[in-house]
Amino acid sequence: MLRVSNIVVKLPDGKRLVNDVSFTVGRGEFVAILGSSGAGKSLTLRCIVGLTRPSEGEIALMGPSGKSYRTTDVKAQELRRARRHIGLIFQGSNLVKRLTVLENVMLGRLGHINPLRSWLLGFKDAEAREAMVALDRVNMTSCAARLAGSLSGGEMQRVSIARAIHQRPLIYLADEPISSLDPKNAEAIMAILQPLSRETPVIGAFHQPMVVAKYCTRAIGIRSGKIVYDGPAQISARQLEHIYGDSESESYLPVRPSGAQPPFYGSNLQPVLHEGATV
Amino acid sequence: MSIDVPAGALPSRKFGLTVVYLLSTVAAMSLLFWYLGVSPSSFWVDSRFIVDLFQQMFPPNFALFWTKSSLFISLIETLSMAFLATICGGLIALFLAFFAATNTTPHPLIRLAVRTLLVMNRSVPHLIIILVLLIAVGIGPFAGALTLIFASVGMYGKFFADSIEQADKGTLESVQSLGSTRLQTIRYAVLPQVMPSFVANLFYAFDHNLRAAIPLGVFGGGGIGFELAFAHGLLHYKDVMAYTILIVLMITGMERISDWARRSIITQPQLITK
Amino acid sequence: MASPSMTPFRQELPFLEWKRGIAGQRLKQAAIAGVLLVLVALTAWRCEVHMKTFVLGIDKGLPLVGMFFPPEWSGMVGMLQPLGVTTVMAMAATILGMCLSLPCALAASSNLAPPPLRLMMRAFIALERGLPEIVQMLLLIAIFGLGPIPGLVALSFSSIGMLAKLLADAIEEIEPHMLEAVAGTGATRSQVIRYAVIPQILPALFANGLFRFEFNVRAGVILGAVGAGGIGYIMSTAMNSMDYQRACMATLLTLALVFITERVSDFFRGRILAGGLLR
Repeated sequence: MLRVSNIVVKLPDGKRLVNDVSFTVGRGEFVAILGSSGAGKSLTLRCIVGLTRPSEGEIALMGPSGKSYRTTDVKAQELRRARRHIGLIFQGSNLVKRLTVLENVMLGRLGHINPLRSWLLGFKDAEAREAMVALDRVNMTSCAARLAGSLSGGEMQRVSIARAIHQRPLIYLADEPISSLDPKNAEAIMAILQPLSRETPVIGAFHQPMVVAKYCTRAIGIRSGKIVYDGPAQISARQLEHIYGDSESESYLPVRPSGAQPPFYGSNLQPVLHEGATV
Repeated sequence: MSIDVPAGALPSRKFGLTVVYLLSTVAAMSLLFWYLGVSPSSFWVDSRFIVDLFQQMFPPNFALFWTKSSLFISLIETLSMAFLATICGGLIALFLAFFAATNTTPHPLIRLAVRTLLVMNRSVPHLIIILVLLIAVGIGPFAGALTLIFASVGMYGKFFADSIEQADKGTLESVQSLGSTRLQTIRYAVLPQVMPSFVANLFYAFDHNLRAAIPLGVFGGGGIGFELAFAHGLLHYKDVMAYTILIVLMITGMERISDWARRSIITQPQLITK
Repeated sequence: MASPSMTPFRQELPFLEWKRGIAGQRLKQAAIAGVLLVLVALTAWRCEVHMKTFVLGIDKGLPLVGMFFPPEWSGMVGMLQPLGVTTVMAMAATILGMCLSLPCALAASSNLAPPPLRLMMRAFIALERGLPEIVQMLLLIAIFGLGPIPGLVALSFSSIGMLAKLLADAIEEIEPHMLEAVAGTGATRSQVIRYAVIPQILPALFANGLFRFEFNVRAGVILGAVGAGGIGYIMSTAMNSMDYQRACMATLLTLALVFITERVSDFFRGRILAGGLLR
């Protein structure tokens, strides 16, 4: 379970990029964080994993045995220990291109391997077999011996999910995992993440409300650093506009002619273009 | 549950391969050392000897910098050798390169002849060139400069020829279709494309020639290399150290300056490409 | 063709501007050419370039080169061992340079090393590159005496300098996402280096190493003449004792060596950069 409490990220001049964000993520949840660019989605995720230090607040991960790992206000070694339990999935290809697919997946457990053993002996065969199981879950076992640099975008993303699975974390964190993929690959990725979320919670930042409505269990809308929505993933158009609305951050949705009522995105899975749309 | 790993990807196998690579590298090194007659004991030098030598070398004789006026003249000499060689050698190389490139050569046989000439020029060791030139034109920076020019032509001729061959065919053909002579084609279609890399290579060539000028000076080619070898022959180690520091400063400094100059020219491409 | 007085004034403006611009540029180019010409004249004077010396030189040089032929074929077999010494010295220096440049490069890159270490390392590398091999040789002869050992040390030192700089630049070009992803699993810095940095720069290491080997062979010849032995020594002693045919034989052998070295190096570098050869 992940508990985020009162996170504030301040710029040196006092402006708050993330303003008092709190939420909890528990078992079986597939949480999507929505919001326009610059609203604070990625920053919140980076705070959770410790890549950015928040000015105030606390983030803690709680394991089944009751042990808790904090990622705020901790020293480097404790942060590393906490990171072992967070499975990261990035937007672009973040595989090491000159390693094989299998080696990339095995990197997931590096946090649990002694560095000396890494240097002197490398990985064990048993770890390789476990990694193959993870690859099997994403249907990439046939590519195990290929260099990661030779894969397509969608395949690379699947391998990075396998790496996260191999890590056996307490929670998966995805930063816009499908933004650089075509719709077919995007659906494939979401179809992998959804069953995954039933065993281990998944929290991710997304730009695609329709896809979120189809696969996720819960959505958190962030606007100008504050949470403006926290509820079911099927969001009404009016609520969407509230999340993405024209505040200081740029508007994501196309400008509508006044009076026209946009359709309910949740029930209609095709992206709808109407007059004035620039998408 | 576990799934079979493809045999080539097994970590234990990869580990085995890595060990083999490392061991063979160590074995190769040992073989090479044995061939050279180098053993760990060769590196052992009597500590008293080292201390004595240290005292002989330090503190470096910096006083030379203001007592010996010819020192900075030698420095300028080395710089001049490098500069002259870069400009003259570069221009000659560019000139020859046009004959060595498939798209600008008047005849394929000429191309072959020039290419062979360049290859031979490249491969001839600088040592023999300087030794011959020292006899022909005497000791001094002239021999050094000529050697560097000779060497630059070979090294950069091939480079320039390759970059000329890479010039965009379309531009070439469109200029040719206007009925221009070969010379005009070169001037208006090829030259602008080749100029940026030519100028950049001139700067790299200068850095390279500056470093090469020093050993040539040691053999008699003038410049600060000559002074250094002279002091070394007289066992004036404090002078040698002073010269060494000067050389390091000169090379590092000139590298920075040429880097800066190259960058500021790159930002004004129209200056070069006309 | 219409006379200039018939073209409307407004249409002439851009042309005049272009003419003015070109004129300014031509002026700048003329200025640069002028400065270069002056510099060439000055440097030529400094280098004691005289037409008379040149002509006399050709007069002396051509018969001299004539005395080189025919080369002393009988001496060839005896020269093979010194040739081997030069080659092996270059090889050993290159391998040593490759091995030792790796830790230096790691310590000199901005994305891996703390700033004080990086600055120190960069200064050290600048020193290694700024000291010409021949100067090192002269200093080392005072310590080690004559023979291939000072040559080996001098070549290794310079090789480390050049290779470390190229490698450090390559390390700094690695996409930060790649490193972040591996660090996100909880890996220590050394594990990130082992699994993300080193696999990515291995091709650069070998390609640069082969390039350096070509250079080391040529430098080895020159160092040989100063006291390191090998074929350079044969060449210089033959010239000094006016045994020109012997010098010619030594030159031919060196030529062959340099040529073969270049072909081999080009071949392997092409294979490496095409991505095939390594692992």
